[in-house]
Amino acid sequence: MARIPPSVLRRYLFGGHLPTGGCLRPLRHCRPTAYSLSAKRYHGTQVSNTSAGPGFPETTIPFRKQLKDEAKKRKAEGTGKKSKQDNQKLDDWELTVGIEIHAQLNTARKLFSAAASSINDTPNTHVALFDVAMPGSQPTFQKETLIPALRAALALNCEIQKTSRFDRKHYFHWDQPAGYQITQYYEPFARDGYITLYAHDGIAAEDGEEVRIGIKQIQMEQDTAKTISQPGDIHLLDFNRVGLPLIEIITLPQIHHPSTAAALVRKVQILLNAVDACVLGMQSGGLRADVNVSVRRRDSTSSSTHSYGGIQGLGQRTEIKNLSSFKAVEDAIIAERDRQISVLESGGVIEGETRGWTIGSSETKRLRGKEGEVDYRYMPDPDLAPVVIGEDLIEHLRSTMGVLPDEEILGLTNEYGLTTKDAMSLVSLNEGGRVEYFMNVVDEYLLTSAEAEEDLKAVGRLIGNWVLHEMGGLTHDLADEENPLNMTPEGDCVIPAKQLAELVRFLSSEKITGRTAKKVLSQLFAAGLTGKEETAEGIIEREGLWFTPLSEAEYAQLATDVLGGNTKVVEEILAGKAGKINFLVGQVMRADQDGRVDATKARVVVVKLIEEQRRSAA
Amino acid sequence: MSGFICSRCRSSLCRVMRVQTRSITRSIHKDSSPPPRHNLVEIDDLLSRPSWSVRSLLPDPDVPPSEEITPAKLHHLLRLSALSPPKSPEEEAQMLKILHSQLHFVKDIQKVDTEDVEPLQRIRDETEEGIKDITIGMEQLKKAFEKEDVKGRNRRPRRRRGEDVDTKDVEDWDVLGAAGEKVELAGGKYFVVRSGKE
Repeated sequence: MARIPPSVLRRYLFGGHLPTGGCLRPLRHCRPTAYSLSAKRYHGTQVSNTSAGPGFPETTIPFRKQLKDEAKKRKAEGTGKKSKQDNQKLDDWELTVGIEIHAQLNTARKLFSAAASSINDTPNTHVALFDVAMPGSQPTFQKETLIPALRAALALNCEIQKTSRFDRKHYFHWDQPAGYQITQYYEPFARDGYITLYAHDGIAAEDGEEVRIGIKQIQMEQDTAKTISQPGDIHLLDFNRVGLPLIEIITLPQIHHPSTAAALVRKVQILLNAVDACVLGMQSGGLRADVNVSVRRRDSTSSSTHSYGGIQGLGQRTEIKNLSSFKAVEDAIIAERDRQISVLESGGVIEGETRGWTIGSSETKRLRGKEGEVDYRYMPDPDLAPVVIGEDLIEHLRSTMGVLPDEEILGLTNEYGLTTKDAMSLVSLNEGGRVEYFMNVVDEYLLTSAEAEEDLKAVGRLIGNWVLHEMGGLTHDLADEENPLNMTPEGDCVIPAKQLAELVRFLSSEKITGRTAKKVLSQLFAAGLTGKEETAEGIIEREGLWFTPLSEAEYAQLATDVLGGNTKVVEEILAGKAGKINFLVGQVMRADQDGRVDATKARVVVVKLIEEQRRSAA
Repeated sequence: MSGFICSRCRSSLCRVMRVQTRSITRSIHKDSSPPPRHNLVEIDDLLSRPSWSVRSLLPDPDVPPSEEITPAKLHHLLRLSALSPPKSPEEEAQMLKILHSQLHFVKDIQKVDTEDVEPLQRIRDETEEGIKDITIGMEQLKKAFEKEDVKGRNRRPRRRRGEDVDTKDVEDWDVLGAAGEKVELAGGKYFVVRSGKE
């Protein structure tokens, strides 16, 4: 290491300044480090020593301020990063994206062996002879794996092929003992489906209200073993996962915006969960997405000669693997699109390669180029008979799928009067338990109805607010952090539906005020957590919370007090500013601590008093 | 060939000769011109010249091997097949020679016209009954459907989880017995693979 001049050393040790250039650069261009910039320590035990050290060229400014100034400067110059919403569309270029989703099927056993499927069991305890390719072992197709696979295909509106076959995809890797993966390359079991995405699913604004993405095919295939990498190039293998059934969903290249791509992956996960086909999500590694990205110029298609799935005129595509979250999907597509455009605009050529993405990076990295391209040598697997699916099975599954998410949201918005946003929140909470609870409360509420017909939409909106927002905000020391209401997927929680319905009924029939209702709710919550049996009525009786409306005299008293305290405003009103009456009404309402003041009555009283004043003044 | 023919064979042979001569004489009498002697081919002549030889399946040793398999391609193929690369140029030349002769054989086989012939994948029972046998319908999956419940107002079927799966005779064997290298950690037993260069 070269000898460091003492002056440089002194600057660094006392002031934290690092020299930026070579020895010929003057020392006053030293680059200040973060240490030197945080002249003031906001918390800590050390005493700052900014006064020490000779020859400080500039006054040290707080680091936070410096960052803010830099951000402001960047914004003014316009070189900052574009927000995601603005980064969706480009004028000269059209982005085309196709997605391949691999999802683990929800089955009891593996695909070609009778070993049990597991998620996080003790390693290497659910392995059959065929799973580790023991010589002489044969595959036995487990028919039960067809049920979730068919449900997934039907949920994605595919045509089920009566006969489908298995093929071998050959490549060597330590996580695949047989040296080939059994998949369905030539004849998959489902083809030609589609998925409809709506604006509330989070598609790009440029895609409008709804967009339909076609699905080329869905095929069944095997999963590989789990690898735990350790330092020193050591890898530990757990073969529990090898041979588990996966479905691969291949979409047509009809996606043109990055957030639509992320929305598609999200919606597929929700759909597969709803039909019980795949219950593990992207977070737990049960759903993986690979993305194919290409760009082409909007005006001409002369240079875009590739085609896929019947769609012509596409540019050369690259594949991005290792995407582990919805955000990563969107970010990686944006980064790859920008990279491809910059390469093409500078006259380069896109190579058909495989690239990887790590969270937090700004560009995709090449994983495998043309020379590393694998020739999979697909061939029909001679050990396996074709899969012939009976028409009765398909019909049964189609008719017993239940209400799917889109229909559920539609029902909640059309019949129960909820907003789409509220409906989506409601169905996503507590694995469907919250929406069950909501409907139970509505039913109980309608039972106590005094009138013949109640407006279901108004009722739904009212109860929706209570179930979603009021109950969502309840906290207690004894409450579990993850699920404070102890809501089960069946819709049972610490506050019985009947009690909440009763409470809301009291509120809507004006027997209690809104503030009282919230108080009673938290008391019911506490009672439920501690195991006490309480009813809404019981609590209100006990605490004397029934709403007693204010008498005329009390109104008059309150109004007089308010008017007395705001003489200037009264003068303005008498002068002609009628709008200020609202201010006085608000003051009257606030005057009563218990919120018993009714706005319309208060207004009447205030107006009366003001007219009296006007008459007495005149 | 022995000169002795049993009486039964002799009589059948006589019968055949008689039919032959009768047909020849008949044809002679039918046409005015002498019949073209296609069917009575000179058998000895036919058998004296071979029309095909097994040697055609092997490349001509005098012709040098074609260059379509380059050494780069050979190495690529060896990598795909997880076979070790040649250790010397002589071994590489030998590999190329063998590969060339194998390709020659394959090209010869490919000369057969297989237009409109579906490749055979497996010899199976493709009768209607055979297909009905392997059809997977409600009957075959009855047991699996019994393990599901219908949940909620949405009437969505859900598989019951946490139930025991009978894996007798499937999972109870020494899985790590054939491991080249293994390790036992707190979590369990694992196979070990090393990926660094030796």
